[in-house]
Amino acid sequence: MVRHPLVGYLVWAVLFAALFACEGLSLARAGSLPTLSDAFRVIMRYPVGRWALFALWLWAGWHFFVRGWHFLLRA
Amino acid sequence: MLASSLIRQALVPMLAGYLLVMATLGFGLRLLCRPKAGDQHGRGLTAGPAEGPGSAAGSRPDWLALARHVTGTAVGGYLLLMALVIAYYYGVARVGGDFIKSAFTGTAMLIAIALPLWGAASWLTERRRRRDNDTAGKRKAHHP
Repeated sequence: MVRHPLVGYLVWAVLFAALFACEGLSLARAGSLPTLSDAFRVIMRYPVGRWALFALWLWAGWHFFVRGWHFLLRA
Repeated sequence: MLASSLIRQALVPMLAGYLLVMATLGFGLRLLCRPKAGDQHGRGLTAGPAEGPGSAAGSRPDWLALARHVTGTAVGGYLLLMALVIAYYYGVARVGGDFIKSAFTGTAMLIAIALPLWGAASWLTERRRRRDNDTAGKRKAHHP
């Protein structure tokens, strides 16, 4: 049985909590802090930024949903 | 042995990925906070009109330009990810074979599923928006 180290989950939880806290603060104090949407909008102005974000999306999707999959569902 | 392989296979790519994401976000935030020419307040945080083809409010979308834009983004993103996967898994982790094949075919499958769905959703949204606009226009014409 694989043992998942608790510290790994804790680090991810802290990172996501910080991200959500920052986003919440940005939304609550509109104008003073840029939100993630603002940052992404600026990044997506440039082709390389769009490629990087799309690559990130693909990577996340592949890791969470597809990894271990075989072409044409071969066993 | 275990520690060195852990550092090589987990810590280094994680740190590199983290730095890349943070640098990209920092670059975006820096651009946002830079004063724009002619902007009295010196901040560009408010959302301007959406960029990209087919986003002009009230105008008919240019489907060909939108398709070109989306295809360029998808192909560029796919190639970028594949370059990173090959660089990492051949250069750092030294695993290949089925894993690389899964990366190529799995992400291609994701694109093949997501893009048609996104296209259909965009088309339906645009159709509904146009129908709502037409209905509002007719109502206005009947009751000026």
